[in-house]
Amino acid sequence: MDMSLYRDLFVSEARNHLSAFSELIVRLEDSPDDSAAIDDLFRHAHSLKGMAATMGFEQVVAIAHLMESQLSRIRSGEFMLLPVLADLLLEGGDTLTRLVSAIEVASDTFEDTSRLTELLAAYDPSGEAGGNLHAEESQEVAITPPQTAVSAPHQFRQADSFKSIRIRTETLDHLVNITGELITNRYRLAESIRLADAVECREPLNQLSALLRNLRDEVFKARMLPFAFIAERFPRLVRDLARKQGKEIQFQLTGKEIELDRGILEEITEPIVHILRNAVDHGLESADERVMAGKPYGGVITLTVRRDKDHVEISITDDGRGMDPEQLKLKAIEKGLISTEHAAQMTSQEAYQLICTPGFSTAATITDISGRGVGMDAVREAVHALSGVLTIQSQCGQGSGFVMRLPITVSIIHALIVECGPFEIAFPLNVVTRTAELNRSDILEESGRTTVILEDIHVPIRSLLQALNLPVTPRAEGALLPIIVCNVGGTQVAFSVDRITGQQEIFVRPLLSPLSYLRGMSGATVTGDGRVLFVADVNTLA
Amino acid sequence: MGRTVMIVDDSLFMRKILRGILAEKGFIVTADAASGIEAMRNLHSSHPDIILLDIILPDSNGLELLESIISACPNSKVVVCSSIGQQPVIQKALDLGAKAFIQKPFTPEKVAEVLESLEA
Repeated sequence: MDMSLYRDLFVSEARNHLSAFSELIVRLEDSPDDSAAIDDLFRHAHSLKGMAATMGFEQVVAIAHLMESQLSRIRSGEFMLLPVLADLLLEGGDTLTRLVSAIEVASDTFEDTSRLTELLAAYDPSGEAGGNLHAEESQEVAITPPQTAVSAPHQFRQADSFKSIRIRTETLDHLVNITGELITNRYRLAESIRLADAVECREPLNQLSALLRNLRDEVFKARMLPFAFIAERFPRLVRDLARKQGKEIQFQLTGKEIELDRGILEEITEPIVHILRNAVDHGLESADERVMAGKPYGGVITLTVRRDKDHVEISITDDGRGMDPEQLKLKAIEKGLISTEHAAQMTSQEAYQLICTPGFSTAATITDISGRGVGMDAVREAVHALSGVLTIQSQCGQGSGFVMRLPITVSIIHALIVECGPFEIAFPLNVVTRTAELNRSDILEESGRTTVILEDIHVPIRSLLQALNLPVTPRAEGALLPIIVCNVGGTQVAFSVDRITGQQEIFVRPLLSPLSYLRGMSGATVTGDGRVLFVADVNTLA
Repeated sequence: MGRTVMIVDDSLFMRKILRGILAEKGFIVTADAASGIEAMRNLHSSHPDIILLDIILPDSNGLELLESIISACPNSKVVVCSSIGQQPVIQKALDLGAKAFIQKPFTPEKVAEVLESLEA
């Protein structure tokens, strides 16, 4: 019998087992009494062993067998899962993942796994012979690439019945583009019909609109993936970082089932990883510090995903030391990022945003982990690039929270259209909190700042023309001043415009060089009558 | 003894391999199932002569499922399938009425040999 026929199926199914594996180990470490987790782990190891044995992959069989044996001892109550064994099991999972990748490409050579099998076989918490990965070669654990824990999603199980097929992501991107262009064209068609007063075309146009809405919804649905798609790696990441820092951390993840566009999921993974790293490294205190402060020994980090109409909120909170807005301001002044006068006027909310300024770092010592890779400025930029808003909350001594509010889909958005000088500009509705028309008496001028009081809050007013570096034309005496109030990093900023013309669904195209250098603009769209309309990026405008 | 078989295994990989082996050896696979619930449902519609049952399944206790299968379909012969290291469970399965067992990893010949032996 030709076993190679079954290799792809083996690889796909083995990956499913392995991806579940590391998540379960972390879960079990957090709650040792979770007997369902032990049973599941045992079953994954057992199934993998059986499959590998059938295919004749002896190295996989040996490791899976030893892991299964240790799990069976935990299951029978002989001992609890201690971090040393958890490390070994995680390392086992990583090694198996690498072996499976080698099997996938039909490699002739496999890595040497004898040390791991020795340690797994020798592990015994009651005796001295316990195998400790860290004790002997701590470097090796640290360099385990995190991507080995990333798994391929289900492929065969569903495809088996022909109810679903796999589709290239580029194809999905094309579908969005075509749908977007169709929507733009519908607006143009509607405009022509209106101008020609072609009454007989109205009914078909209405039907076309309804069908286009259906098409748009279906195309977007096809691109949606549950948050779980990227979340699998987070418990493991937090756990490994915590171990490395010698901190005890409980990680809670909720809302894995919430769905987002796959493009957004892709872009948001790194920012989440960075915020989690910061929370472990800088947010949470050491166990000693916590006890001194009268807090529980172990810290808690939560990652919560929740849906709010057309948006998704991803929040990451910790119960660590929190941030002091005054210290942040001092540091920013010291680094020459802001002036003393500017600092005095800043709200706490604005002060927290300082950590996202390039060149700012809040930790006295930069650990090897957070010193590397993207900083908070890159996090904020990534969120803005997705037309999202990053809000930071903190309470000194009690912890910090980072909330990323993102649209659930890309490209096709609802926007508020405004006129401003010679331009028409679209504001994504998700950043607009309200609109208003102000009388001259509503507008306050104090110490060079123009503000308006809205619901008891002083909201600064900026002229949109000025923000775009365009000449400002004086307004007629007694004319009302239209403003749109936007949420910029958690603070309200009002932009004054010439006229608010209406709301529209638009298909946003990215700006290419040299237009991409335009400050304050994130994209463009074509209107019904063929004019180009720029899409505002309020974060760089404000 | 007839030659129709139902395969119960949560692994699609295992079900496919077993299908391949059984077809090669002249058996007819009339149904398969990935879970205990599916097994009980398919059992009533297909009434196989032989049931190949993986004793470790995600949604059921394999031994309880074995008992349910035997009482629902007393004329079918159950062959328990499991990886090495599960001898105590296999012994219990045999005590409960399983007719034979196949240990993973298996060769096509071994599978055929065990199933043929049921006919005697």
